Amino acid sequence: MSANLSRRKFLAASAAVTAGSLAAPWIARADANEITALLITGGPLYPKYWEKIVQDFTAKTGVKVRYDLLEFTPLTAKVVTLSAARSSQYDVYSTHTAQIDSYFNHFAPLNSYFSDSELAEFYPVAVKYLRDPKTGNLAAIPRNMDSRVQYYRSDIYQEKGLKPAETWEELVDVGLKLTGNGHYGLVVPGQGDPAQRTFSDLLWQAGGDWVDQANKPAFNSEAGIKALTFYRDLIQKHKIVPPDAVGYQWNENSTEFSSGTVYANFDWPGAFATLSNPETSRVVGKWSTAPYVRDKAAISCAISHAMALNGQSGRKDAAVEFIKYTVGPEAQRLQFDQFTNFPSSQAIAKEVISAAKGPQAVWLQQLETTIANGKEWPKLAGFSKVCTLMFSAIEQALTDQASPADSLNQAATEAEEIMRRAGAYD
Amino acid sequence: MTMPPVAQHQVPGRRRRSPLPYTWQRGYLLASPALLVMLAILIYPLGYSFIMSFFRWDLSGSAPFIGMGNYTDELFGRQFNQALRNQAIFSIISITIEVVAGMAIAVLVNGKLRGMRLARTLLLVPPMIAPAVVGLNFRWLFNTQYGLVDALLRMFNLPDIPWLNDPTWALVSVIVADVWQNTPLMVLLFLAGLQSLPQEPLEAATVDGATPWQRFWHIVLPLMRPVIMIALMLRIIDTFRTFDVVWLMTQGGPGGATNLLTVYSYLLAFQAVDFGHAAAVSYIALGMSLFVLGLLYGVPWLIAKRRAI
Repeated sequence: MSANLSRRKFLAASAAVTAGSLAAPWIARADANEITALLITGGPLYPKYWEKIVQDFTAKTGVKVRYDLLEFTPLTAKVVTLSAARSSQYDVYSTHTAQIDSYFNHFAPLNSYFSDSELAEFYPVAVKYLRDPKTGNLAAIPRNMDSRVQYYRSDIYQEKGLKPAETWEELVDVGLKLTGNGHYGLVVPGQGDPAQRTFSDLLWQAGGDWVDQANKPAFNSEAGIKALTFYRDLIQKHKIVPPDAVGYQWNENSTEFSSGTVYANFDWPGAFATLSNPETSRVVGKWSTAPYVRDKAAISCAISHAMALNGQSGRKDAAVEFIKYTVGPEAQRLQFDQFTNFPSSQAIAKEVISAAKGPQAVWLQQLETTIANGKEWPKLAGFSKVCTLMFSAIEQALTDQASPADSLNQAATEAEEIMRRAGAYD
Repeated sequence: MTMPPVAQHQVPGRRRRSPLPYTWQRGYLLASPALLVMLAILIYPLGYSFIMSFFRWDLSGSAPFIGMGNYTDELFGRQFNQALRNQAIFSIISITIEVVAGMAIAVLVNGKLRGMRLARTLLLVPPMIAPAVVGLNFRWLFNTQYGLVDALLRMFNLPDIPWLNDPTWALVSVIVADVWQNTPLMVLLFLAGLQSLPQEPLEAATVDGATPWQRFWHIVLPLMRPVIMIALMLRIIDTFRTFDVVWLMTQGGPGGATNLLTVYSYLLAFQAVDFGHAAAVSYIALGMSLFVLGLLYGVPWLIAKRRAI
């Protein structure tokens, strides 16, 4: 055989490589009994959790699941990219209430796969905000609830004769008594989506809401301005929050408390497991939980991590079977045991609450109350873009670049225009 | 030695149908797989995103054609104008510092002082570090509570500087990180230019009694003009593409104070899920960088042409 590369051989080889590349996705998916999933991870326990879920599901149904794991932010970016490309690479996606309105036309509606009685099993607030308000289509099914309670340093509070704050005023008073010598009484995140979540909680607590009855922006109401002023003052006036908090997101918010620098914060269910683990916390055994603070109302967000079916999927039935398994009783019990993720199923939540003892039982009760009173921002057309606008508006107020009233008024004017263009009022 | 005539390569009995010489045909044929790949991974996405910029392109299912709507929305929008202002400040200040400091350091390390070889080697380090790593490191260095920079200030009883928390200082911080990473690259470029300069004019000037500054200003700098132009071109292109360092240090915050055009475009695409506007912003940024490059090369060319007339 000649070792020389002829033109014909070169072109034939190039054609073969090109054809192989183009056919690769189909060759790789040749197994008719296999689905693909893009799933969320975070921390060392998640890969093991998904491995077990997938193994158990395959053992029960015979359907194989090929999956990739990504953390929340890159996962969101990838789902956006794949959705824009109308990709069928994955049949199932991990998703979240936060940006669900962007996917209403990309995720396949799950209504027909879940009966009314099955849906009634889940917390109503979770199901409500995963639905497209225009069509009533259910874009995803909740896997676990995301709500926050107050975590505080019980040892320091006891030493100083303090009680965890119940109201906004008490939050400032307690914070002032704890701040000093390199320590702060409180930490709140001040950047991006976490800043919007924090403002959102304060807005509802002050008696306001994001939109009015006609779905026009109402977050610049008196309550909104009061909420943002209070939020800014925690950092700039009372200085009970670290100054760097204006650049903090959730990780920094949690780390400031778990490292022992800050004596109170508002955190998600996963914090309970993180703070109890000596590998991830310096304050093991030194903290306790309390309800979120209130003003006129005791409302904070109640959202959920969820599972969605790709509208482009060619294996919808098998994919839905997998989705049902991930939100089923076994998977929900397992994720509570492993990460203290609060179940989205009311029955499983009751089960874990009744089995819990001591501080964990108290914490679960507090979380359940938060979820029962919880809300989420509206899922109107264009609201995802309004969120980007809000990140900037809130940050500008928190860093004294603009007054809370000015930044909210400007954001409200722009938000109405964005939602109008997106068809929210059609 | 003479080249064989082209006809000798032809296979006997076959007629040439193409007007292109045979060697051209073969060249195109052999390059075609690479051209196809380039077309698929470079030209197609560029063209696709350009088309996208004329549509209301989100994930809502329909994507109506809106002409220049995305462009006008952005050009008259507050957030875009803030990003544009930040981009102008970032590009002008960082490029000026990098070129001036780069030239000064290049002249210094070009001398025959002790330790210059080590200095040249160390200069390679910052450009070799991934921008993402630079961004993370500077985020920690500039942290008010735990950062090294404020800790040093405290050691000398100086007040803390809110590097990443204050809108002005945040922009200064990202410029510092960019200057730290890219000045050494300028030094290396200028050093290569300085070492290839003809020595005769410099020696003649020395004999005529010119001071070092006069030699630099009247001989070295004019001779270095082509190198400086290339350095400027590279940095202008780069600053309009800067993303990683800013994203990891500030995510464009606080309150959009460090939002550059790339960061703003990313936020539009992946947080607002508004690809039409994001594509429009990217093409406005591309247009602006081409315009600035056009000025950089066009103005001197026009001046030279006028002088010639």
